Amino acid sequence: MSDDDVLIKVENVSKKFCKSLKQSMLYGIEDIARDTLNLKATSDVLRKDEFWAVDDVSFEVKRGECLGIIGRNGAGKSTLLKMLNGIFMPDKGTITIKGKVGALIEVGAGFHPMLTGRENIYVNGSILGMSKREIDGKFDEIVEFAELEEFIDMPVKHYSSGMYVRLGFAIAAQVEPDVLILDEVLAVGDLGFSAKCYKYISDFKRKSAVILVSHDMRNISRMSNVGLFFSKGKVISYGDIQNTVELYRSYFSENDIKRTKHDSEILTVLSVNSLPKNRVKQYSDLVIEISLYSHIKNINIIFNMAIHKSDGTHCCGFISDPKKITNISKNSSKINIDLYLSKLRLMPGEYYFSLYIWNVDQTERFSAFENCHKITVIGDERTQGIVTLEHKWKIK
Amino acid sequence: MKNEKDKIQIYSARQSHHKKNLWLEMEQELIASRELIWRLMLRDFSVRYRQSILGYIWAIFPQIITVAIFTFLARHRVFDMGGTTMPYVIHALWSVSVWQLFAGCLIGCTNSLVNAGSLVTKINFPKEALVFSAIGQALLDFMIRLFPITMVFIWYGFVPSWHSVFIPFVLMSIILMALGVGFIMAIINLVLRDMGNVISMILTFGMFLAPILYPPPIKEPFNIVNYANPFSPLLIATQNLLAGQDLMQTELLALMSAISLGIFLFGWRMFHITMPRIAERA
Repeated sequence: MSDDDVLIKVENVSKKFCKSLKQSMLYGIEDIARDTLNLKATSDVLRKDEFWAVDDVSFEVKRGECLGIIGRNGAGKSTLLKMLNGIFMPDKGTITIKGKVGALIEVGAGFHPMLTGRENIYVNGSILGMSKREIDGKFDEIVEFAELEEFIDMPVKHYSSGMYVRLGFAIAAQVEPDVLILDEVLAVGDLGFSAKCYKYISDFKRKSAVILVSHDMRNISRMSNVGLFFSKGKVISYGDIQNTVELYRSYFSENDIKRTKHDSEILTVLSVNSLPKNRVKQYSDLVIEISLYSHIKNINIIFNMAIHKSDGTHCCGFISDPKKITNISKNSSKINIDLYLSKLRLMPGEYYFSLYIWNVDQTERFSAFENCHKITVIGDERTQGIVTLEHKWKIK
Repeated sequence: MKNEKDKIQIYSARQSHHKKNLWLEMEQELIASRELIWRLMLRDFSVRYRQSILGYIWAIFPQIITVAIFTFLARHRVFDMGGTTMPYVIHALWSVSVWQLFAGCLIGCTNSLVNAGSLVTKINFPKEALVFSAIGQALLDFMIRLFPITMVFIWYGFVPSWHSVFIPFVLMSIILMALGVGFIMAIINLVLRDMGNVISMILTFGMFLAPILYPPPIKEPFNIVNYANPFSPLLIATQNLLAGQDLMQTELLALMSAISLGIFLFGWRMFHITMPRIAERA
């Protein structure tokens, strides 16, 4: 197993799609005719109503690596995976894959609702390229992994969506591929099962290459070592997973601030600043200055500030004293709040602040300004966890 | 397993025409997926009548009723069927069964990809298997229909000629023709759903434009159905073989068998080349 054991190599791959169904039918017939008559394909130019769903993407995945692909819905992630799996043909560029590919693009694709779980294992197994003997040998393992012993002879149309996922993943897990491609399939399973799947993937990763698409930032940053952030078919960032996830988060938060400004009718955030600056040292003091504008009058509010890590982990939160109600009177519609944070006990990294405005009983939330501010904490890298304590080693 | 580990796959926009040994690749893929084809056939058999009481009796009913009506009409001289070498009921029952074999294969293949639904766009496997397995249902139906046919043979004291042993070869041609057209139609049907309807319509009219419910016409211009319908020469050959007559149109039969094989190979190759490009429009 050499270092340069590249299992997946994607070079300048592009894929176009058609927005209009009628045009798509027409182009489909055109493509069939061109391919059949051995004419030159029109794949490298855009025809009317077409757009690049995946645009000039390149990356490599080596054995033992896990690539996490993130991006908003419709960014082109699934299309890319389908090309990697060989279901779709790239319109430009080349994909080279070494070894056996196992993919789970959609769980339960290929399950026949009328068939029992047992029969579906055999059908799906052979669709995934297993022989009857192989399936016979692995049958018990599949059922055990899926934890469906009780229901294995029930038609799958009566299965719950979680049971579908269990069975689908259990079958795919037995294919033992060199390259595993997973598209947001574990979101449906319950906590225990998805933990089991993630454990399986991390074991599996050691001897193979894995590509993972997920919207679950915490798991994806735990599983992957390389990240690929996609937007509108283009690669925004490709590299270390932590940095990629941070970038993805910041991408969101910038958009979110703009959006909440429009949505919120009661309050608007005018500005959020941290003093002395956005880049702070661990254990130093920090002041968050918030300036709000109120659009309505005569309400009593309290504030709630939450601090999150880029993967969504909630680090801490503070609620203002309900005895000190802020009343917005007629005269002052501009509100200034300072939040003093002393001896910042956060781990080095990027942190996002979210401000929530509640009524006094905390029964109604007037406004939410998620990720309205970001700070970077620098300091001792030799700490672990979510928060840190002032500490000192004394070795005798 | 060993060579699969080292297999390198390259996906690019380059057309598969440029690949060497495309035929070889297709053949290897077919051999590799034979178990899958069988598995899919079994799936379709076991699913088809699972939620029905009469089950496979439904495979026989329509055919028996059609033949019963036409036998009644022919007996009472509502229209003149002319003379058939075999008793009319046997002629009609046999021909309808052969036609249904062809029609069943063709409809099955045409709809195979569309019916597979998300399988086509979510899993990578040789999609040819879907089309090949689609003929299983029609074949099984045909075999079931042989049962009432045998009953009628016994009833009429009809003994099939020893020539009948060659019938499977002609049926093979019929199936190849259905598969070939089915391959082309399946891929077009994926883009244009009209094809399913087009095929059903053609098959409805086609049944009357072949000597199925009537003996092959001898008079001009009606004998056009004997050769203009590509299915007719093959059907007439099975009728002749069953009755133990000399083959009427030997050259035409040979030509049609060759054409069937040609259509099959063309359809299969076209399917193999265009499938990866068309999958996205399913």
